[in-house]
Amino acid sequence: MAVSWRFWFVLPMVVALGTVVLFPTVYLFWMSTQHWLVTDPERFFIGLDNFARLTGGADFWQSLRVTGAYLVLSTVLMLGLGMGLALTFARAGTGWMRAIVVMPLVIPPVVAGFTWRFLLNGEIGFLGAYLLPMAGLDLNPLAEPRAALVSVVIADVWSRTPFMFLIFLAALQSIPRDFYEAARMDGANPFHEFFFVTLPLLKGALFVAIMFRLVDAINTFELIYVMTRGGPGRATQILSIFGWRTAFQELDFGQAAALGVIMLAITLAGALLVFRRFVRGQVGAA
Amino acid sequence: MKASARLLTAAAMTLALPASASAQTEINIVAFAPGFAWADMFGVSGTEKTDKLRAFEEANDITVNIEFADEETARQKVLLDLVNQTGTYDLVMLGSDGAVQTFSYAGYLEPLDDLLATATDYFDPEAVYPQFLEANRVDGQLWALPYYSFGAGVIYRQDIFDKYGIEAFPATTAELEDVLATIKAGLEEDGMSDVYPLTMRGAPGEEPSLDLAGFVYAYAGYPAWFEGGATTPEEIRQTDARPIFTGDFRPGFEAFVEWSREYGPDGIATHTWVDMMNLYGAGQAVVLMPSAINGFAALGGTENEDVANHTAFAPSPKGPSGEPIQSFWTFSVGVSAFSENKEEAFRTLAFLTGEQAMQGFAETVGWPYSTFPSITNGEVLTAKWPAEMLSQIEASYEQANPHYFPYIPELNAFMERIGTAASEAISGSKTVDEALEELQAWAEERMERAGYYE
Amino acid sequence: MMSAPRRYDRALTAIRWGFLGAVMVFVVFPLIWLALASLKTRAASLEVPPRLIFTPSLEAYEKIVASGLVGAFANSFTIAVTNVILSLAIGVPAAYALARMRGAAQENLSFWVLSIRLAPLFAIILPLYVLFKGLGLLDTRLAVAMAHLTLTLPLSVWLLMTYFRAMPVDLDEAAMLDGARPWQTLYMVIVPIARPMIASVAVIVFIFSWNEFLLAFFLTSRDAQTVPVVVAGLAGTMSFDWPLIAAISICSMVPALIFVGFAQRHIVEGLASGAVK
Repeated sequence: MAVSWRFWFVLPMVVALGTVVLFPTVYLFWMSTQHWLVTDPERFFIGLDNFARLTGGADFWQSLRVTGAYLVLSTVLMLGLGMGLALTFARAGTGWMRAIVVMPLVIPPVVAGFTWRFLLNGEIGFLGAYLLPMAGLDLNPLAEPRAALVSVVIADVWSRTPFMFLIFLAALQSIPRDFYEAARMDGANPFHEFFFVTLPLLKGALFVAIMFRLVDAINTFELIYVMTRGGPGRATQILSIFGWRTAFQELDFGQAAALGVIMLAITLAGALLVFRRFVRGQVGAA
Repeated sequence: MKASARLLTAAAMTLALPASASAQTEINIVAFAPGFAWADMFGVSGTEKTDKLRAFEEANDITVNIEFADEETARQKVLLDLVNQTGTYDLVMLGSDGAVQTFSYAGYLEPLDDLLATATDYFDPEAVYPQFLEANRVDGQLWALPYYSFGAGVIYRQDIFDKYGIEAFPATTAELEDVLATIKAGLEEDGMSDVYPLTMRGAPGEEPSLDLAGFVYAYAGYPAWFEGGATTPEEIRQTDARPIFTGDFRPGFEAFVEWSREYGPDGIATHTWVDMMNLYGAGQAVVLMPSAINGFAALGGTENEDVANHTAFAPSPKGPSGEPIQSFWTFSVGVSAFSENKEEAFRTLAFLTGEQAMQGFAETVGWPYSTFPSITNGEVLTAKWPAEMLSQIEASYEQANPHYFPYIPELNAFMERIGTAASEAISGSKTVDEALEELQAWAEERMERAGYYE
Repeated sequence: MMSAPRRYDRALTAIRWGFLGAVMVFVVFPLIWLALASLKTRAASLEVPPRLIFTPSLEAYEKIVASGLVGAFANSFTIAVTNVILSLAIGVPAAYALARMRGAAQENLSFWVLSIRLAPLFAIILPLYVLFKGLGLLDTRLAVAMAHLTLTLPLSVWLLMTYFRAMPVDLDEAAMLDGARPWQTLYMVIVPIARPMIASVAVIVFIFSWNEFLLAFFLTSRDAQTVPVVVAGLAGTMSFDWPLIAAISICSMVPALIFVGFAQRHIVEGLASGAVK
């Protein structure tokens, strides 16, 4: 009996997701084993050749490095900023300030990308051509390989931090006040409070935030594409842009699918790791 | 429960509502640049049909639906449609620098030679510059008709040339290098740090490749991609021609990279044609080449009077081989092999690329390029542009070798790789040699896998 | 005895407001720049240094009205609202059930839901296209809504599940003891309490769907185009129209902002009543 209602509650979700997801997943795996060049009328099974070629080439590893750097940098900044904002707004700030902080979230990433590209443009951009040189920083933020990576991270942080902020804020709001009062009675300072009261209780939210950041970062596409097209050269070519190029520019569907499978494997492994670490403990405690 | 079920069904139906059916034949077309492409047909916004188009629709019992998207992304849409044989689009936007070659070899396009005779009232193949048709001919067959198209040329600032005592635009690349150095020194002396001697495009991807291929052609004197200058799959197979990106391809590639680094704007390694256009239009670049068309696009939008009043045109300079730097391209449109109404589609295509349409293009956009000699020398353009310039532009078509890069099915992938290699070398993350060696290795593998050398 | 916390408090307050000020500048600056650009002419929008005082021009906004982009707004709105409804209608019971499950089944199922979002989009575009082509749904709002649901449903399930799990079990046990059925417990006891969280999830789902570009781009061609798709289409055109892009961006924020504003009331309400204890 107890099982049955849970089963019925979960069923629509399983059906809704399963029907849309099952076919593409199977299809993706099948594609990854095919010699499938759009330019070649013949399509046939080649086993793991696509994977071997991919991991044997420099492009994949280069993109993996860029993705790693991008992921770490953006996650750290976003979590820090989002958490800082949530903590701040729990004690200070006004309603309209909060509304403003959330605003970038409602701007489509493709627009955010354009906005930052024009702000940072080294010849006509307000920041890149005017403010930065005035501040004595003589580098082109979009065309110098390292600066370009930082630039896309900044744009991404601008665009996605509000999401982190909302998650943390919602979680903070569910922490009862008495917890803090009790801590204060024990003579805890604000830092103790944060590390021993807030953080442990935000574990669930933190997990969700990291998880969805991981997913978002892996699938970030249009923001970087409109800002730098993955350039200069391959300096900001994260895996999703590499995959896009492989599939839709180089017309190598088989290899792109293989990349998709590898990415899926990597993110699954990463997610499982985080999942084990956060959720297992939590379930046990609950 | 019943009411909510009905509501859901109704909601689902609204969501899935198909386009309104019509008795007329519907021809769907996907293109880019609304308000520019066929502005005389679909209006400035790209969504209102003009009387001219309506007249065509009525006369032929055809409804023309157009969908606009960004250029590069529109191509991916065409690709998905063709690969899956969906047939959503009867007419597909192509381009003579990859799509025509790739899709025709893949069997996704309808050959047009036999259809040409069916719509000569709209499109007379005899009346077009032959090079623009040639550019869309692959393996001896015609696959697409050219809409706006252009040849190589240079746009430059006469006032700045005068200021530094340069009398005429140089005729060779060697002389041009000296001139660019003079301008650079002059600009530095005058403290004009936000004006650059040259603007080209160096974004990763296919963006720089058309122009870069033009440099390679001018420096090597032939399409130096494969041994012996092989440009077709048959030639490559028969002569077992290997890629030569570290060979004769190198001088042109190196010149493109060096010029970009030395004389171009700081951000050139991520610049697309939009950036080069904006830069020139804002008066921040002295020379724009070798696709002068982007300079004319800049002139159309500029409010900078110096740019508007002191821009001059010159033919593309000749490289060490004696051949001019090429930049020859047609925005061309083909008939999908999966269209259900191929004849109507072709008729529409003939109308959209025919003399009337190009006349409309000349009137609304007014660039000095046209696919028809009658329009280049017609009232509208001769009233707007100097006669000498128009004849130089015509000469650039005659000098053009539309096949200045290979016409192979893998062209898209090559263009993509070449542009990215250039961007890497320009940004300094790789040397020219490193970038070319990587390109060479990739090319050998790709050609091998495609079965060229069996 | 109270002096130490008070000193901390004062320092903290200063840090808070300083931090807030810095973030506000970072957040607001591009927005203002966007708004200004939307009121300029094309050439003026590219000037360096940019002029801050200029005669505003509504040209860009007039173009939006004239060009029938309104249809794209309607599409985006329909798709986003459909997503909100479906991901809550399906997501709330599922999240609740998952929150009240234990052991391997719970772990595997919730991880499976999450893993759906891990698929790289570029790689599933082609399979999804093939699927929707087979179903005859290409270029319909339904196709986009279904595709978006694979992104928004896992999101809402996870956010809600974490939240429900933090709620004491006594509440539902008491209700069940009173003879309430599970769905009655859910809708009469749990949902009213969780309203602020559900509102936040609705906002997030709406925004995700509203902003999504890649799937919407490939699954639509003419009838069902969404706002980001239209913006991207305008961007690369021959006559690069920065004010128009800026104006569309500003307009694209409006429906989302209204929605956020509406839902925020509930978030604040929930906060004020301190419902979750």
